[in-house]
Amino acid sequence: MRRARRGDRDAAAALFRRYWRDAWRAAFAITGRQSLADDVAADGFERAFAALGRYDERRPFGPWLHRIVANRALDLLRAERRLSDEELPETPDFAPAHEPGDRSLLAAVAELSVERRVVVVLRYGVGMTPKQIAEALDLPVGTVNSRLARSLEQLRDSLEVEHVE
Amino acid sequence: MSSELERRLEGLLAGAPEPDPGAGEKAQHRALRALQPAAPARRGFRTVVVAFAAVVALLAVAAGSLAAAGGIHVSFGAKARKQPSTRIPLSLPQGADGIAVVVDGRLSVVTRSGFRLQGLPVSAVTLSPHALYVAAGVGSSLVALRPDAHQAWSHPAGGRVDAIAWAPDGLRIAYLVHHEHDRFPWTVHVIWGNGTHDQVVGRSVNPVRPTWRADSLAVAYVGTDYRPTVYDLAQAAHHVIRMHKLFGGVARLAFAPTGDVLAVNTGRRTVLVGKSRKTVWRGSTDGIGWLDGRLAVAAATPGLPRHIYAFSTHGKILALVTADGRTARVLAGPAGRLRAVFAVPDEPVSAVEVG
Repeated sequence: MRRARRGDRDAAAALFRRYWRDAWRAAFAITGRQSLADDVAADGFERAFAALGRYDERRPFGPWLHRIVANRALDLLRAERRLSDEELPETPDFAPAHEPGDRSLLAAVAELSVERRVVVVLRYGVGMTPKQIAEALDLPVGTVNSRLARSLEQLRDSLEVEHVE
Repeated sequence: MSSELERRLEGLLAGAPEPDPGAGEKAQHRALRALQPAAPARRGFRTVVVAFAAVVALLAVAAGSLAAAGGIHVSFGAKARKQPSTRIPLSLPQGADGIAVVVDGRLSVVTRSGFRLQGLPVSAVTLSPHALYVAAGVGSSLVALRPDAHQAWSHPAGGRVDAIAWAPDGLRIAYLVHHEHDRFPWTVHVIWGNGTHDQVVGRSVNPVRPTWRADSLAVAYVGTDYRPTVYDLAQAAHHVIRMHKLFGGVARLAFAPTGDVLAVNTGRRTVLVGKSRKTVWRGSTDGIGWLDGRLAVAAATPGLPRHIYAFSTHGKILALVTADGRTARVLAGPAGRLRAVFAVPDEPVSAVEVG
């Protein structure tokens, strides 16, 4: 990290290789689309490297990068929602679910609001802790926990409704 | 305690696909290009860092070491430190509020309000009315910068920003985005001047800079099949201007600084479109614009290098880039009183903006 901060391109390339997959998966988890994930993750790295000179190296790089990527992804989704003639896809492009129950669950995740969907996919798709999510999204940990709890509640309700029907 | 539902979510969501190796290579290339090393710490030496809304601008004003590294240099009020090169620093043209020049993909700006910026990698640039703000394409974002830098904003454009035009009333910005993998890659957007309410107003458009009508309620761009199209913001309606195919594709558009006359420049003609149409020039051109209430047409001279022209939105200042193979010079000022404001050896000047 120290060498990368001084402008060493080999060190910066190593940093990129170490964190690219995680950053991409976080971007994908939020946007649900591979093409957007490519763009968001690349943009996140570009911004992170451009700002490397003012990065506090005492703090871990991963959460800082995730924060940039998450904010870029959310900005992009919010911007897209503002476009009158371009809607977000109904279902994120996650791995194909073979079981009918899995398909229902994915559909229910897709129906969550962007704010809730983001914390759910970062928690269960990327494996981040509520504290890491809070740092990445610049939210209080309590808000993250609350969104997770409400999301799970909404998902349970959706699945129960489907069972009843 | 992990519930059954949480375990199912983990199993499903963790099955996300892997990133494409090609995307990783491109991203790494982009990231390394943006790498900005930290300025070395110096005891008793005050370093001022200015960040523009989490974009690539990072700068240590006092540390001269960044200059040699080709970093980005911004200062406010005071003159920038002289660079160790033969380039002539950009100076403010007579009568202008600001000027921006892109040399080898990097932006230099100077404004009357004391804003100076040098070295920011950009794909396009424009100045707001009175040059109070600068808007630039940085990476795949549209970024607005202002002298105090605290209120700057950045908007993800989803692709490279190829052209930007700030409305005369300062309230909106039109910009052109290139989407790399699309068959018809350009879209034209309108966004509010504060970086919100972005809207795609045209898809599959052609890469010609949009132009604003004087009342700022309509923007013209070149749509599908090279047809000039005027988007009326008040009515949210598009009006396609039909042009004779023999005129060739539209290369430039310029609304007059007053009224609603639109100058349309094709490969072979320049036509004024208003209540009636009038061909005012036959022949190829290097640029068109409005000066002191009249349309100015810069004729291209066969066999000679092409010049780059820029006209201020208010139609009073002209900037011109000339190159003789050894030195590129920028001349600017009111018509008839052009003065050299910048010179740079052996480096391509790709754009100039004056306001």
